[in-house]
Amino acid sequence: MIIIKSPLRISFVGGGTDLPDFYSKYPGRVISTTINKYIYLVINPAYHMNDFILKYQITEKVNHPSEIIHDRFRSALLDYGIIKNGLEIGTFADIPAKTGLGSSSSFTVALVKGLSAYLGKTMSNGEAAEEACRFEIDILKEPIGKQDQYAAAFGGFNIFQFNQDGRVDVEPVLLDYFKRSSLEDHLLLFFTGITRNASSVLGEQRLKIEENLETYKKMSDSVFYFRDKLLAGDFKGMADMLHEGWLRKKSLSSNISNSIIDSLYEIGINSGAWGGKILGAGGGGCLMFIAPPEKHMFIREEITQAAKVSSLKEFQEIPVNFTQSGANIIYNSNR
Amino acid sequence: MENFIKTYINDANHSLGLVDSKEIAKAINIIQSVFERDGRIYIFGNGGSLALATHWVSDFNKTVFSHNLDKHSRRFQAIRLPSTEEEFSAWANDVGYEMVFAGPLQNYLQEADCVIAISSSGNSGNITKAVELAKSRHISVIGLSGFDGGRLNELADAKILVKTEKGKYGIVEGAHGVILHLITVYFQNYFDHLLQRNDKK
Repeated sequence: MIIIKSPLRISFVGGGTDLPDFYSKYPGRVISTTINKYIYLVINPAYHMNDFILKYQITEKVNHPSEIIHDRFRSALLDYGIIKNGLEIGTFADIPAKTGLGSSSSFTVALVKGLSAYLGKTMSNGEAAEEACRFEIDILKEPIGKQDQYAAAFGGFNIFQFNQDGRVDVEPVLLDYFKRSSLEDHLLLFFTGITRNASSVLGEQRLKIEENLETYKKMSDSVFYFRDKLLAGDFKGMADMLHEGWLRKKSLSSNISNSIIDSLYEIGINSGAWGGKILGAGGGGCLMFIAPPEKHMFIREEITQAAKVSSLKEFQEIPVNFTQSGANIIYNSNR
Repeated sequence: MENFIKTYINDANHSLGLVDSKEIAKAINIIQSVFERDGRIYIFGNGGSLALATHWVSDFNKTVFSHNLDKHSRRFQAIRLPSTEEEFSAWANDVGYEMVFAGPLQNYLQEADCVIAISSSGNSGNITKAVELAKSRHISVIGLSGFDGGRLNELADAKILVKTEKGKYGIVEGAHGVILHLITVYFQNYFDHLLQRNDKK
């Protein structure tokens, strides 16, 4: 049996510049961190089962990988030539899918790492990230970027730079524990209860990259300013940048926000948050705020009340800590 | 007499000042990752470097948490390799001296782990053998080297190099001792901070 643990992430600035339509013209950059919420994948060579069994929201039982409905499982097993039946794979998660925390790419990173281990190979972080990108972008043709795969594979606070030739540079942001925990104390994260498919939002965003090129360039360059504020512990400055970025990003695609998200965000700001953003490609997912710690209780109460009024049944606060480790095999009985 | 003493201290200060703090920060991040995954840290070296490794293990496994030993159910698992003299001599005698670290490391190593290798020259064959084993499995390596860094500095993910003239073992080992203590104190402060923060909440 092999068990893989792969982190989710919060991205702060630069989302969208990791799309090839942009970074083929100008280097894209994203600054993000992994958090203590995880996807787990369990791979069990079940030689006596004579089937492929995939357990996620549903359970699939098929004789050949080509019959699998789940596109990532299907394409990975076929691509790796794992076609001899008798394999069971199950997934577990701390958080529901489509919350804007990069879960689907975190899952793919876990899958490629796990299947490689099943085949007796280990992968570097960079290899795992690139493999996950190959499946999602090249094979499955999803209109997504590369930031989530890299965030899950490397772990920690990083700046990812997406170069024109497709290479990705990883620059860790070396934060001490004091600043890290202090930022945690300023951060609030709420799952809105509205889920969305990143691909649908990014699809529209992609079509508009050409006309918004200058805006994207500014977003990419602003990653360094955000890092400098982070290293200086200037949380107010970071929040101001998020607020500006949020306004800028809303201008890029009509479905990045909607009236419910807008009003929840405004309530957060009016209740004392310095700034924030919607996490993920937009249209739903998580709202993140940076706010003085003494305002947290009030913001929490106000926004929870508003969510109740809007009948957001799954709305909830998600307390997070930042983490350092990328996706990792935590158990391997075949080693 | 005083001249000799001052020159030596100046040399030591100078070399310690040349160490790249970014690389020490990277090493700290590697250890942080291993802690999150509940992995193990394997540390080794020859001669004085082996003494540094043993000293660090005793500090790191206990001193980091010593202010609140009972409050930390999960602690660090740092292990000096080989962990017994018997294992050391068995590998050296039966297989070859170059296997004294790589041999035992192969028994233990899993993906959640990391390695700290200490070698003043950076070129000890038994050290590079063990580091190459770790690298072949994509395990993060923290390398503490001296002189020009040698092969260890090339291979390591966190390249902690105490640059000196060739042969200045005392200066290099002394600086390595300071850096290893720095790592211990960082984590001691960190875990103290976490407890204070939880108490406040």
